[in-house]
Amino acid sequence: MYLITKNDVKKIAKALEEKYTLYGPYLDADFGQCFFDKVTSDTVNLNAPIPANPPKHVVFPHLETIMQYKYDKNARKADIAMVFDDTPKALFGLRSCDLTGLQCIDRFFLGQEFVDEVYRHHRSRMFIVANTCVVPFKQCFCVCTDSGPAAQEGYDLNLTDLGDSYLLEVGSPKGKAFIESFTFAPATQEHLKQKQKIVEKSITMFDDIATESKAWVSRVMNRVTTGFIKEEIWEYIGNQCIECGACSYVCPTCTCFNINDANTMSGDTVRLRTWDSCSYEGYSRMAGGHNPRKPIEDRRNKRFFCKLSYSQSKKYLRPGCVGCGRCAWVCPGDIGLPNVVTYIRREIHE
Amino acid sequence: MSEQKIVTVPEIATIEEIKDEIVDVKTFYLRFDNKEIDGNFKFKSGQFIMCTVFGAGEFAVSLPPSPENDRFHITVRRIGKVTNALHDLEVGDKVGIRGPFGNGFPFEEIKGKNVIYVAGGIGLIPLRSSIVHVLQHRQDFGRILLMYGSRSPQDLMYQYMLEEWQKIEGFETFITVDNGTPEWKGNVGIITTLFDKVEIPVDNTVAFVCGPPVMFNAVIKELMQRGIKDDMIISTLERHMKCGVGKCQHCAIGRTLVCTDGPVYTYRQIKTLGEQI
Repeated sequence: MYLITKNDVKKIAKALEEKYTLYGPYLDADFGQCFFDKVTSDTVNLNAPIPANPPKHVVFPHLETIMQYKYDKNARKADIAMVFDDTPKALFGLRSCDLTGLQCIDRFFLGQEFVDEVYRHHRSRMFIVANTCVVPFKQCFCVCTDSGPAAQEGYDLNLTDLGDSYLLEVGSPKGKAFIESFTFAPATQEHLKQKQKIVEKSITMFDDIATESKAWVSRVMNRVTTGFIKEEIWEYIGNQCIECGACSYVCPTCTCFNINDANTMSGDTVRLRTWDSCSYEGYSRMAGGHNPRKPIEDRRNKRFFCKLSYSQSKKYLRPGCVGCGRCAWVCPGDIGLPNVVTYIRREIHE
Repeated sequence: MSEQKIVTVPEIATIEEIKDEIVDVKTFYLRFDNKEIDGNFKFKSGQFIMCTVFGAGEFAVSLPPSPENDRFHITVRRIGKVTNALHDLEVGDKVGIRGPFGNGFPFEEIKGKNVIYVAGGIGLIPLRSSIVHVLQHRQDFGRILLMYGSRSPQDLMYQYMLEEWQKIEGFETFITVDNGTPEWKGNVGIITTLFDKVEIPVDNTVAFVCGPPVMFNAVIKELMQRGIKDDMIISTLERHMKCGVGKCQHCAIGRTLVCTDGPVYTYRQIKTLGEQI
């Protein structure tokens, strides 16, 4: 635990930049919007609002080549090679919701019967600097999903803005080794108390600031798991959906993907992995046209089942929702996760 | 998990022989190029593989051969982009194989029971593995019945095998076609009409059902009416699949994934999963 200045924070970013590709939140002047992507130590902005996109594209890119092969039709010979990306990457200024989302994806890709090798390589040399949210944003509800406003685990370093200085916590041996090259002033228990106060204050501010979203997740998990939800509720939700897939795009824990083989001009074929969304009609359509999940409400049902049921939580070891509120932010049909939770709760009360 | 399971990089196999089955359906006899894998590719009846057609993509396909003493092959209908490309291949061409994936048929649990197979059209392909296995272990089972229907006599799968099967003593085969031809001497009518003609065992009986959704639902109704319990009706499901190992989520039905928890389900499970067949 150290007490560092704002200038020191920049120094850490600079040191990381030398060894890692640096990813972090930055303000895009053209859009007036904050995004999470490649940054330099100069452009990274820890005070920027919650980024519009989660950091999942760093470990699970929108479009990536996972395999490359060349098939010589005349010689009848095929050379297959997997394509892995294990460049060292650093996530700087990750908010607790996104960090929890990243842990969910970790457990899903690495923790089950089959380990996703492509993902494992992405994740293998990663450095994570988390950032405590001292103020919530209007769509946030991480207090409802137990994923914020301060990160509990999973980081190498954690920063908390104490006002005129930063509290730096070390969360892993990797983080400890990294910090050894610096001479920072150690922090006292007093500072840790100060941080706790800030976190508590942040939580109380949810009532006034984060007015747009509230999701009583635990209340509906039982209902979603057992399926005791009226068909009309799903139909209503389905009718609101315009199948744009934006919710899956901005969700920190959505990891459905599609695989396609594409032939290139050089004669090689690349196997591409792209993001997919369960809201699309073609998602479950089979060759020949039969689609077991054709009605839109069936497909919507699937997404919320994935986020809110016990059985799906087994793979994440927590609810699939991390309370970032992005789905509510982007949804043109007003059926972000908090609203769906409200609809289901309303039905329970009736 | 067995170490022969091929998860990430497809193993290259050569097409040794191609057999025309019916219109748009061909059987491809395959042999792995890697000698170590060729003899050691162990799978369970009811499992499936992911087959790469180079330059076109990858598709999931059931394994029709019996795990014991059977030539390794897949039987594929020309239906989508990748299967079209597969049908254009010739003997000697290469394909990529990943697998085997899925759970397989529960043979241990059904030992000593009567077995009814009900198949429609190319639904006989995924059941072939099970049928051959059960016939190989004839002594472990009671009565064995096959009820098979297709649109027309030309659409009957594995005609050469059907002829052989009809000769096997104790293997009761009933075949029907929706639309007969002048040469056709057998039953005419949809598959459910067979239920009026055949005295099927009910107690201590397990039924394997595979076929198009309409046929599936009609057959389930007939079986249930006759008193066969829903957990004694076994089917193997088909879904859009991309990875085969539970990551892409395309094959999710309710809380299960067809690729890792399936593709073999009992009707009791299918009922509670709450999605159409």
